[in-house]
Formats: sequence, C-alpha cells, structure tokens
Amino acid sequence: MPDFLLELGLEELPASFVRSGLESLGATAKELLGHHRLDAVSFEVHGTPRRLALRVLALPAAQPDREEVVTGPPASVAFKDGKPTKAAEGFAKKNGVSLDALYEETSERGTYVAAKVFEKGRSTADVLAELLPELCRRVSFPKTMRWGEGDFAYGRPVHWIVALLDDAVVPFSFAGVESGRSTRGHRFLAPEAFLLASAHEYEDALEGRHVLVSLDRRRALMSSALELAASSLGGRLVPDAFLMDECVMLAEKPFVVPGSFDEEFLALPEAVIVSVMRDHQRYFAVTGPDGKLLPRYLNVVGTANDPARIAKGNDRVLRARLADARFFVEEDRKQPLEARRAKLDAVTFQHRLGSIGDKVERVAKLAAALRPEGVTEAQLARAATLCKCDLETLIVYEFPELQGQMGRFYAERDGEDAEVCLAIEEHWRPAGASDAVPSSALGSLLSVADRLDTLVGCFAIGQQPKGNADPFGLRRAALGVVRVALEGALDVPLRAAVQHAAAGLTNVDFDRPALVDEVLAFFAARLEAQFRGEYGVDLVQAVLGAWGFGSLRDFRARLDALAGFRGAPEYEPLAVAFKRAFNIAPAADGVVDPALLEAGAEQALADAFARARGPIDALASEGAYAEALARVATELKEPIDTYFADVFVMVDDERVRANRLALLGQIAGCVSRIVHFHKLQPAERG
Amino acid sequence: MYFQDLILTLERFWAEHGCLIGQPYNSEVGAGTFNPHTFLRAIGPEPWNVAYVEPSRRPTDGRYGENPNRLQQFHQYQVILKPAPIDIQELYLDSLRALGTDPTKHDVRFIEDDWESPTLGAWGLGWQVWLDGLEISQFTYFQQCGGIDCKPISGELTYGLERIALYLQDCDDVYDLQYAPGVRYGDVFQRAEREWSTYNFERADTALQARLFDDYEAQVHALLGLSTEKGKGGSLVWTQTDPLARLVLPAYDCVIKCSHYFNVLDARGAISVTERQRFIGRVRHIARAAAVAWYEQREALGFPLLRAAAQAAE
Repeated sequence: MPDFLLELGLEELPASFVRSGLESLGATAKELLGHHRLDAVSFEVHGTPRRLALRVLALPAAQPDREEVVTGPPASVAFKDGKPTKAAEGFAKKNGVSLDALYEETSERGTYVAAKVFEKGRSTADVLAELLPELCRRVSFPKTMRWGEGDFAYGRPVHWIVALLDDAVVPFSFAGVESGRSTRGHRFLAPEAFLLASAHEYEDALEGRHVLVSLDRRRALMSSALELAASSLGGRLVPDAFLMDECVMLAEKPFVVPGSFDEEFLALPEAVIVSVMRDHQRYFAVTGPDGKLLPRYLNVVGTANDPARIAKGNDRVLRARLADARFFVEEDRKQPLEARRAKLDAVTFQHRLGSIGDKVERVAKLAAALRPEGVTEAQLARAATLCKCDLETLIVYEFPELQGQMGRFYAERDGEDAEVCLAIEEHWRPAGASDAVPSSALGSLLSVADRLDTLVGCFAIGQQPKGNADPFGLRRAALGVVRVALEGALDVPLRAAVQHAAAGLTNVDFDRPALVDEVLAFFAARLEAQFRGEYGVDLVQAVLGAWGFGSLRDFRARLDALAGFRGAPEYEPLAVAFKRAFNIAPAADGVVDPALLEAGAEQALADAFARARGPIDALASEGAYAEALARVATELKEPIDTYFADVFVMVDDERVRANRLALLGQIAGCVSRIVHFHKLQPAERG
Repeated sequence: MYFQDLILTLERFWAEHGCLIGQPYNSEVGAGTFNPHTFLRAIGPEPWNVAYVEPSRRPTDGRYGENPNRLQQFHQYQVILKPAPIDIQELYLDSLRALGTDPTKHDVRFIEDDWESPTLGAWGLGWQVWLDGLEISQFTYFQQCGGIDCKPISGELTYGLERIALYLQDCDDVYDLQYAPGVRYGDVFQRAEREWSTYNFERADTALQARLFDDYEAQVHALLGLSTEKGKGGSLVWTQTDPLARLVLPAYDCVIKCSHYFNVLDARGAISVTERQRFIGRVRHIARAAAVAWYEQREALGFPLLRAAAQAAE
C-alpha cells in the first residue's frame, strides 16, 4: 500500500491563504481520488508559509478493475433482419467489444443493445500523474496573483513541486514547474535544495532542516513557548486567538523572543498599547499579577539565532510606535474633547448630506424624539455633542480602530459625566455581527439615532445598497438598529423613528412618505434575512404583515408567540381556516346584520366571535400575543371548522352572501392584527 | 554606514544586477511608484529594469521636525524588475546582505501586505519585509496599473531608506542619522520638515490648492484629447484618437500634480471622508487616461524596447 506526498513550494503565503489552501487541497484530493476509484486509508494536509503539502496514506497500487454495462442504440436500429448495422458496429468499436458480445436489454423505454465493458484498473501512479494538475489548479486562495510573464494566476508564485509515490516521482507539470523530489528547508537556516528519497521521510527530513510542517505541532510548540516565556517574565499571557492563528502561519518553526518597553508608556490607555503591539507588530501582551499590562511583550519569530539582537530591534520599533502614540495623546489632551465639536462642521459626512457637525445635530434631535425615561435631556445633549469629537483627534486618525474608546478616555479625563463617557464609546456599537450592542440606554439611543440618520440620508440621496455593493454599510446599520432594540437597552418604534429621521433631514429634497416606506421595506428585508433561519421565512412574513413597523420588540414578541403556537395541535387547522377566511373575505370590515345569520353553525360562529373579539383585541394590544393566539384557538377553532364544514358562503342571495363575507372579514381582520395566517405554510411534520 | 553610502550601495548592487539607474522625478510625488519610470513603464509588454531614489512627500505625516521617526518627506529606494525574475526574493535578500545584514542573524520575514493605490488605479500583491519587527521594504507584484492588467508582471521593491539607516546606525532619531561624514540628516532636513509641516497643516492656501487641482485636471483632458464626458461605467471618451498626437508625459505630469494638491488639501483637513472618495475618483480617472494613452502610444511606436530586447538577444 504506497503512500503519496505532494508538496507545493511557494513564496510566503499569508495565513488565510495557507488555511484556505490546505482546506481545498484536502477536500479536492479526496474527491478526485474517490472519483478515480482510489480509496486511501487517510489524508493529511500540512502547511507553512512556504509550502502546502498533502500526504495520502495507504493507497492501492492500482484502481480495481471494473465491468460496466453500457447501453447502446435501440435493438431495432442496431440489427436489421438479424444482421448488425453500422450503428451496432460503431457501438461495439467505441466500447472495445466484439459484435458477438452485444446483447439485448429490455426496459420500460424499450429494447436496446447493450455490452458489458471490462475496464482494467490503471496504476495509481498513472492516475495521479493525470489528476495532479487539476488538484493543484483547484487549490483555492482568497486572492490570486500573476507573476513573471503573467500567464498564470495562483496564491503566490510556485517554485517547486514534490510528487512522490513512495520513492518514485509522479511526473507532471503545473504553472511551468516540473514535479520532482527536490525540496527546500528553512529559507535562511537550510536554504539549499535537497532530495527526498521517499514520501515517508518528509516530516523528519524537513524537521532536520528547521521546518515543522505540521500545523498542530507548530501551534503546540508556540503555545507552550509563549506560556513559558510569560511565566518567566513573572506574568501571564494575554490570550489572543487572532494572534495565535496569525503567528502560527508566519514562521516555519516558531520561536518566542521576549522584549520590553519603558514603564513610562504604561501611562497610555491599555487599548492603545495593545493596539500598537497587536495590530502593528503582532506581539502578545503580558499581564502581571494585578491583571494590568506589564511593560513586556512576546514576539513569535521564524529565525532566532541571535535573540538579543532581535529583541533589541523589536524594542526599538515598539518604542518608536509607542512614542508616536504618546505624542498623539499628549497633543490631543492639550484641549478638551469638546473643542473638536466646531471642527466637525468643516468635515463632510457626505457632500449632499452635509458635515459631520450637521449629522451630529440631526442625531441629537432624532435621539431627543426617542429618548426613554432614565436618560436626561442634559446627558443626551452632552453625549451627542461629544460622540464624534474623537474623529478629530490625532490618535484616532492614526488608530481608527480606537474611535469611541479614545473619545471616552479623553472625556473621562475632561471630567465628563460617567454615563456620557460610556455612551461616547458605546454609540459605535455594534460594529459588526459579532460585536456587542451598547449596554447603556444613552449609548443605545445614540447608536440607533446615528444609524437611522445614515440610513434615511443615504436612501434620500439614492445611495441604497445595490446587489453586493453597500458602500455605506446600510445593511449593517439596519441590523445594528434591530440588534440594539432586541438585545440592548432601548426599544425602537420603527415607523415613528424613521419618520422622525426623515423629518430631520432638511438639507435634501425628497419625497418623505415614499422614503419612509422605502426604508421600512428595507428593514423588512433585513428582518426577514435575519430571522428566517431561526423561524422560517413564512412565519417572519406572517408577522411582518401584521406588525406594521411598530416597536421592534413587539415584532420579536409576535414571532415568539407564533413560533410557540406553531407547536400546538390547533395550529394547522386554524391556519388553514383563516387562510380560507382571508382569501374569501380579505379583512374587509363590513357590518354584520344579526337578522340575516342562519341558525346553527353560522350563528354559533358569530356568537363565539362576539364573545372572543374583545378579549383577543385586548390581549393583542397589550402585546400578550401567545395568550391572544391561545384564545383564538380555544374560542374560534371549533366554530370556524364547523362553519366551513356546514355553511356555503357564496350563496346566490346577495344580502346573505354579503353578510357572510362581512362576518368572515371581521374575523380575518381581528386575527390579522396579530399575524397574517394567510402567509403561513403548513407546519412541517417531522 | 552613512545614509549616502546606503544609497550608493543599493545603486551599485542593482546596477550590477542589470538595472538602469534612474533619477527622482522632478515634481512632488507621494511614492516612487508615481515616477513614470514605474507607473508608465509597468504598463505594456516592454521589459524594464530600473532603480532610483525617490524623495516622497506625505504631507499628513509631517511632525514639524519634532518626531524622531516621522517625516513629511522621506526617501524611498525604488527597484522595478519587469518581468519579475523567479528569484526576485533572493535578489532582494542579497541586497540586504550587500548592506551588511545577514538574515541568519536576524528575523527577516515576508508579511502579507497587498498594495493598492486608489488614485493610480493600481494594485498588486506582496509583502512588507520585516527586519526584526521593522518594516524596511515593500515588495509588490504589480497586477494592474492605471486600470490596465499588467503583462508581464513587474516586481516592485521599495526600500524605506531612513528606516534602514536608523537600523544600520543603531540610532533612535532620524535627525541624528549620519548622512555623510560630519553632516547629520537633521542638518539637511530638519528645518525643511518644520517649514513644510507648517505649510501643509496651517498655511497652504486651500482655495489655491483646490483651484490648481481643477486646472491641472482640465489640462490633462486638453493634453490627451480626453472628453469631460464619461462613457458607460465611467469609461474614457476620447476626442483625440491619434495616439501620437496626445501629449502623454506632460499630461501624466499634471496627474501627479493633482494627486499632490489632493494630498495637501487632505493634510489641511479640508476634505472629509466621503469627499475624499470623489477626489480619488477624479485622480483615478485621469491616471487611467494617461495609462491608456501611454499604452496606445507605445503600441503605435511598435513597443521600441521589445524590439531592442529582441535585437540584443540576437
């Protein structure tokens, strides 16, 4: 059972390229080998910045032979008067069988000529040589590039290819490179090309040349070296999954080199120090016993013959970067944060929507209209004034990811109200799907107002998202509003809020009612996209129709009530009945004349509805949707079922017919205020 | 190693490796990429190997001569190898060795850093090169230039000369660098940094810069015979269709000036985030026009360097 090794030698791949490259290499290898009837015991992929490798263990020496039944032309065409025609000869020749071997097979489609075709399994080496170019081509990368003459696109330029089946080279060529047995060790520590005798010695031979091809081994080595280094500094490693994933891909064999910076830099906000270290230099931070940062860092490097020299160089880089950051903070602190407010008037938000200063004014007004109890007018006004001011600070110009955090830091130093400081930081949230929503009511209020203003403004000037293009992040903004309302500290009456936002937008000319509808439709689409996975698309639509863009929490309450009701035994018959009622009489509120009601099922339904209507309406307007739906089920299910079984609605007598439609219309109307049953699909039975 | 020896060593190294030793462009550029030696020569099929120093202006990076690491004008050493040879990384590492840096004694790494110049409509894939955590070079395989797909591919190596010198001289302050025997970097540039920072941040007349931007943009249209109307999808519309009747190099010079005035306006805080996109779009449009005009002109001339290379090969 031979083993196979494929190694692609490339110029330094980014971490994400190694990950996606290895994933696709493994999956495609399985698919292609399976397709070619070569079942292996196991597949392994290995990768470093300079190589992607595949090991396939215990392959068969050849494909199994196989016999296949091939169907040919209809018997009537293949044989005339018992003699084979050109069609039969052609079929036999194409499949490499003699005319004698043809036989007839009858199925529903008729009688056809068939042949049993024997195919000898090909040697694994031959099959590999044929499929390897495709395998290499199908390795996928987040981006590809061309190099040299520019004829070929790949993740990075290809330098060498090793393809060994045990000790034999599998010959093929890809990207202008011929496969062979020549590979290379560490770029600096073992730069010479060397020959691999067989696939089996791959990992060991490279380890001897300062390359750990196994990702897991590199990660384990790096992780324990980091922990050890941190504890020898008398501190603890600050865990960082992003840095772990990055660093394990940045060195063929990781070494940890500790470094340090002057204690005086610890006066900077920790977020700044960590940002500098992590985002610019990919250093791990270390905390002391008190949980505060130590003036130390851990650097994962690829060559460490002279750690002292490397640490010295890195210390210098970090010192310069921290000195820069300190300069920015000191400059920024020379005036209070508030002093930047006037500057925002000169910074364009969008040329038709005015300056950021204009936006801040609009946000303040909109937020005032949505202000909940517990947030004072003064707090709101102050937070609105200050929330964007840090955009004009040097530190945020340099480290945009610190916006909000630095605004809060400066506001705190200026002695601003604690709630206001917190809101400055939180109003940017949620920054993305994985970011938390603001924890405070004031932060939530500004977050929502800011996003609604952007949404309404961009729609007003025709900058709606189109296809994949969403340059202003409006989908994310809408989802942010929804998440703040549903997960955070502030409910949002959506229609009213959008109307307020549209009313506040005075520097652009547009059709306000049409715009409000358009923005609400956009929200409806976002809500559907957000919740269809959890609730099913029909359920979301049933709620959207009835909800009418009131409060977002009300939307969620209806969804939950309906989802709960969906499990009840009455659900399906009721859904069918109301769908029918709605289809016949779409919620028209006609007047019912009691005198025209027929005794029996119709009278019973009218009586039941008369009893139930008040309580259902009351429960629904309190938002007790589960109770309202339960009431619908207990009070109306039986009468309406009986009604549809016994009563014919569309009678010839016009007055009676109109009366029946009026009753059904009233019932449909009453229930439609909770959910639109007619949008629902029958529940799946499982 | 004196600052000027660093330059001389790189000049010697790349001259010995077949590069033409070019000169800085005589107008304000933000990077060596703007020099026609790179931006225009990277376009089209003609081979081109060049190396030169480029004093590069970044108005927003000015610190009044008070910051030990930041300058509004710094020096790049720019190398273009077209087509990029397959051993270009090794060549680059050899150039570090020529500077006395033995990679086995340091931590040298190639860290992903794709490059894009939105104003030039150019982008490429590649790395920043780290020497013990210090970014000393940008290494880029050009994929597109002026919106035109590059073929063959140019390899661009850009050395940050001040940074490398700080490293080699074990120095913490750029102004303390030894430029030449007896002359510090600060003696040459510190006052200039102060004046230019003041100009860029405080004194530059924004109305003038904006007007100059508009005027030079109009000049590009005039010199290239480029309509101010755009075609479908923002495409170029020509009023002059004879490639040899267009003044490509003067037009490209105006593109460079527009880009610089935009940078000054930006440093003066006169442009917002969204406004910035419009300015960038305007520069990109004329840069693309210059790139296309250059390609068509070279084509009309029969791609002279391609012929020269073929003759040399014979």
